[in-house]
Amino acid sequence: MQEIINWSDEFLAGAMVIIQLFFVSLLMVIVWGLLGATAKLSNSRIARGIANGFTVLCRGIPEFLLLLIVYFGSAVTLTNIARSWDPEIRFMDIPPFWAGAFAISLVIGAYATETFRGAFLGIDKGLVEAAKALGLTRFQVFWRLRLPMMWRLALPGFGNHLLSLLKDTALVSVIGVQGILFTAQQATTVNHKPFTMYLTVAFIFLALSTVIVVTMKCIEKYAYRHLEAAR
Amino acid sequence: MPSKPPIISLKSVHKYFGTYHALRNINLDVEEGQKIVVCGPSGSGKSTMIRCVNGLEQHDEGDITVNGHMMTTDEKTGNLIRQEVGMVFQSFNLFPHMKVIENLMMAQRMVRKKTKAEARDTGMKLLERVGISAQADKFPGQLSGGQQQRVAIARALCMNPKVMLFDEPTSALDPEMISEVLEVMTELAREGMTMICVTHEMGFARSVADRIVFMDEGEIVEAGEPETFFANPEHNRTRKFLDQIISH
Ligand SMILES: Nc1ncnc2c1ncn2[C@@H]1O[C@H](COP(=O)(O)OP(=O)(O)OP(=O)(O)O)[C@@H](O)[C@H]1O
Ligand SMILES: [Mg+2]
Repeated sequence: MQEIINWSDEFLAGAMVIIQLFFVSLLMVIVWGLLGATAKLSNSRIARGIANGFTVLCRGIPEFLLLLIVYFGSAVTLTNIARSWDPEIRFMDIPPFWAGAFAISLVIGAYATETFRGAFLGIDKGLVEAAKALGLTRFQVFWRLRLPMMWRLALPGFGNHLLSLLKDTALVSVIGVQGILFTAQQATTVNHKPFTMYLTVAFIFLALSTVIVVTMKCIEKYAYRHLEAAR
Repeated sequence: MPSKPPIISLKSVHKYFGTYHALRNINLDVEEGQKIVVCGPSGSGKSTMIRCVNGLEQHDEGDITVNGHMMTTDEKTGNLIRQEVGMVFQSFNLFPHMKVIENLMMAQRMVRKKTKAEARDTGMKLLERVGISAQADKFPGQLSGGQQQRVAIARALCMNPKVMLFDEPTSALDPEMISEVLEVMTELAREGMTMICVTHEMGFARSVADRIVFMDEGEIVEAGEPETFFANPEHNRTRKFLDQIISH
């Protein structure tokens, strides 16, 4: 217990890092998911092709590997570009936090693409026609009807993606992002109490995922209040 | 008196679904204030025809003119026409996640750019007119079928349309709810609304329609005033159809 208290500031800082990582990735996940789903449902063969490539790649490669590829790939490219300006430069990288957030968002974004696509397909066509018949433009129909209906249908699946997203933030310690797992690794080298330290990490993840689960419950309650009322 | 051009005009309209010829040479003129009832067997193209009028389906040949605008494949033109044409569907199609009053306000706000207060005001007036102002703050799922269909009619009327299209508005209703919807429609007809109704409610057709159009296999087989249509149908197909629905 004393060991946890000794390292509590570092654990707190680490927790803040993964929470930030979570929200930054989450924003990107929503963007990838919406872009991917719209592309997959579009008439453009090119857009569909790109979106299919994206989901096949990002769901097919282990996320750990994708993280390394994104980070070192971008670093190597950046270093080469930088060297062409100044040959003295030894190494240049994207800040690990951003590379990590980006890599994780690609993976979860690929899953979200499929969830959003399914949800868009699940929208009652009659509702869309009714909105069109009222004179709404295609754009208005998208914002005022398709999107609100879509996220309601996507909610349960999306909740699972959020949990995966949270857990994936543990991976980024490998590229040096100082999240709680990184803290535990550092502490272990000093105090040689790996079990206690990793158990602490586990509890922090459990607490954060509980927050997500409870939040999703509340959002679902709001989103489905019309169904509840109609019972 | 110079005669006004018809508010809806279909000229030699054809429509294909793939190779299936769903509308064959449809010609129909509707004058302002006229009420047209369209009937015919299942699959005869009734829905397809009225959906072409507001561009929910695109016709392949011929001309459709609504309120002076020629329907094209252009999104803008279709939109312009749909803003002036109300439509009521068999399955109500109310937005389930919005309260009744919000269903009525949405298009007024988005399309007519009304303020929230104005839209609510119009919405409440129309709910009163269809007799369900007490349900304004409920969700559609909390209402009976008949009430939902009346909300759908009110929602369309909120846009102050020049024409109303009805696609079998009572077919999904339990028998005891049909009359409450037909009453609203009859009232609307009496106030002078131009209407095209696809329906097999022949009592309604008899009392409201200026003209009854009978369709079969994508064609308008015959059209006429209710008295002559029911008493002396010209075609065998019409007679057969009438016998069938009246014996039911
Ligand atoms: N989107 C579509 N794709 C292919 N075929 C279609 C489509 N919509 C309608 N059809 C076909 O066109 C024909 C006419 O359909 P329509 O819905 O207009 O008939 P209807 O007269 O309204 O029939 P009902 O009384 O059953 O509503 C039918 O044979 C139908 O199968
Ligand atoms: Mg039909």
